Amino acid sequence: MASSTTTAKKDDKAPAQQAAPAEQQQPTQKAALEEDDEFEDFPVDDWPAEETEAAATKDSTTHLWEESWDDDDTTDDFSNQLREELKKVEASKKR
Amino acid sequence: MDVLFGDFADAQANRDGYQLSRTLSPDLPHDRLRALWKSCNAHDVKNVLKRNIQNSASGLNRLSHDETQGWVEVYYHYWKAVGELLALQEPSAKSPQASWTKVYEVWRDMLSGLIRGYNNHGFEAWTIPCLYVAGKHLRVFAIRADKERNNNNNSSFNAPGQNFQDDFDPESEQAQQLEDCARQLNRIFNLCLSDRAPLEESRKWGIYYVINLLFKTYFKLNSASLSKNILKALSAGRGDMPPLSAFPKSQQVTFKYYEGVLNFLEENYLEAEKHLTEAWGLCHRNAMRNKEMILTYLVPCHLITTHTLPTQKLLEPYPRLQKLFLPLSRCIKKGELHAFDLALQEGEDEFVKRRIYLTLERGRDVALRNLLRKVFIAGGFVEPAKEGEAPARRTRVPIAEFAAAISLGSQETIDDDEVECFLANMIYKGLMKGYIAREHGKVVLSKNGAFPGTGV
Repeated sequence: MASSTTTAKKDDKAPAQQAAPAEQQQPTQKAALEEDDEFEDFPVDDWPAEETEAAATKDSTTHLWEESWDDDDTTDDFSNQLREELKKVEASKKR
Repeated sequence: MDVLFGDFADAQANRDGYQLSRTLSPDLPHDRLRALWKSCNAHDVKNVLKRNIQNSASGLNRLSHDETQGWVEVYYHYWKAVGELLALQEPSAKSPQASWTKVYEVWRDMLSGLIRGYNNHGFEAWTIPCLYVAGKHLRVFAIRADKERNNNNNSSFNAPGQNFQDDFDPESEQAQQLEDCARQLNRIFNLCLSDRAPLEESRKWGIYYVINLLFKTYFKLNSASLSKNILKALSAGRGDMPPLSAFPKSQQVTFKYYEGVLNFLEENYLEAEKHLTEAWGLCHRNAMRNKEMILTYLVPCHLITTHTLPTQKLLEPYPRLQKLFLPLSRCIKKGELHAFDLALQEGEDEFVKRRIYLTLERGRDVALRNLLRKVFIAGGFVEPAKEGEAPARRTRVPIAEFAAAISLGSQETIDDDEVECFLANMIYKGLMKGYIAREHGKVVLSKNGAFPGTGV
């Protein structure tokens, strides 16, 4: 096998030996890149309804999502800023 | 071997498919693999297996000659796979060629043995968990074999390799084994789908497990769209299929997740949201990683379908998701367009990798809507036309005000035409109600619900 001579030259390892450490070296990198993207196998096959996420968040589902806008921040602040900006825009137009 | 066939006998007596499938697991401690491998040799292995299988059941449970023969074949290949695994774990001069490719090939033979067992040797449907174990590990071995080959090619073949690569597609070459694996899994899929036996003893009960394996494989191969064929075949046969809800929750959740992501990738956000929400609800509460995966797609879905954002509380247990979504959410809420663009840029690599970039980009509309809405609110109220009427918001808003608001964040002046284009888009998309009165340089907004769904 052509590859075995070249690898042997490179790090003096038989290909079989090389395969096993490769498995151990990779995981750190692999964990970051690939397995990341995969939906994992569940440790158990089935579970009762009480152990589902729906049961866990039953009382608080309404707090999971919120409206996308925010009225809390001071509207006054914004209107002042806006007025300033308007003046600037006006001024730049006149120029 | 004794342990193995003790379990085999128990499983046959109890008709316990999961117990039976554990006798075919390659995930064994090293010394057990070793003991198994040493318990017979290449000359007598088939006889030993046959004797063990014949002795494992008595009376009514006795296996037919045919069935026995089928299982001998399966365990014969299992035994060979054990040998290959051992060779990988303890390299010796006798087995210099050990590789994951070898493991993969023998394991595939075992899977073929199983499939033949169902087709020709009368294996019963309760034994289908054996197919799960075979399929699940076939995929793992395929991925390892591909990786091993690519590593070898990269480290030792770099220069010469490039010379004869004219007629080869590097992409498919890299995942050669995994592609073969997809074909093998398809065989299992058809084996389950085509079973005509009455439901209670049908291999159809294996269908979702193998579909999920196929989905995972197709996603890894970057051919998620192939999953559509599976869904089509499934819905064609759905009439005589048990309902999904009758399957174990692990299979339901996984299936719903992939069904959701597939719809997501096709921009069917309503469908996607439906499936992902189901997956979320059924998911085991402690399966944090999988819940995180579901939310990765559910959050962008919500942004598109209902314009809602995840709360702090929802993301609290998931630092990764916080990093992914919180900066964008903040910008959307505050209507900070420019900051939104920056945040999108900042996370681009990660978003692209998760295939959510394009969807999140559409969140810019929501950010813009919120900004325009702020302009509208800052405009305040006009005197009521008649005494006693409630004051109404100012609905004629100069385009210049919107323009000023848009350039507020970026500090770049922006063309009036461009602003009008933005506004027209908002109106077209139904995020804002009104019309542009060009000759007056104003936008005339609807008196009731200028920004539908947002309370003003």
